[in-house]
Amino acid sequence: MSVLSTVLIFVVIPVAVVLIIAALAMAGSDRGQRNRRYRPGRPYDFQPIWFLAAPEQVNRATDRPGPDRRALHGHKPHAIEGHAIEGPVIEDSSGAPVLPGPTGGASDRW
Amino acid sequence: MTAGEIGEHASEQPLTALDHPGGDSISAHPELTMSDAGAAVLDGPFTTRQLVRLDEALRLADEETGLTFSVYVGDLEEPVRRHADKLHKQLDGAKQAVLIAVSPNQRILEIVTGSDARKRISDRDAKLAALSMAAAFAGGDLAGGILSGLDQLASHAGRS
Repeated sequence: MSVLSTVLIFVVIPVAVVLIIAALAMAGSDRGQRNRRYRPGRPYDFQPIWFLAAPEQVNRATDRPGPDRRALHGHKPHAIEGHAIEGPVIEDSSGAPVLPGPTGGASDRW
Repeated sequence: MTAGEIGEHASEQPLTALDHPGGDSISAHPELTMSDAGAAVLDGPFTTRQLVRLDEALRLADEETGLTFSVYVGDLEEPVRRHADKLHKQLDGAKQAVLIAVSPNQRILEIVTGSDARKRISDRDAKLAALSMAAAFAGGDLAGGILSGLDQLASHAGRS
């Protein structure tokens, strides 16, 4: 076996195979999909999303005019609510604000 | 019903993309079957599989507890708590509604329970759910955190 054919068989052909497989792998991977994932600290620039089991339950104050949206304005919050008297913010011993009003819940950061 | 009526109906709400014979079928234009909001959600951070699971979790939570669960993912204006309250007020039957508001940019999450829902999900239960959600979010698992939070809140609320 000459030097030329040795190089051809043991170097050029394996390198060609490796390159072909690498090219196929790069073409197949869906990179755009993976980048959309949220990672803490990376900017998150997506449209706000609001999930509901029954989307007709939300009264959107700011939505585009459209025939199918008219039904959503069933009962708007009363205008009086905007002028509700607001008391001072009460804080507990750790400095966390005690939630005023009838709504409860919790908040957290990460 | 006459053929003319069918044509009128089709122009009002297109069920197929067959505007003219020989055109594409609806499967070639899936965007025609969904609203603008639905199309926008597909461009969001969630995969289709995650969206399906979220939808299922919301539906099950609503059915089992009788409360209205809702998840908002997006920026919240300062003060965050007041904005979350405002969103919560926009829900029909806000007294029985539970809103989970997540702001990945601000790295903050708010759980708002209405006055009736608060009797079944105490603030302490909500805080527990918030803690586990924040842990998942810190690991970058947005959908998983929301799912586990929904699961915890629904199981604390119990059956209706």
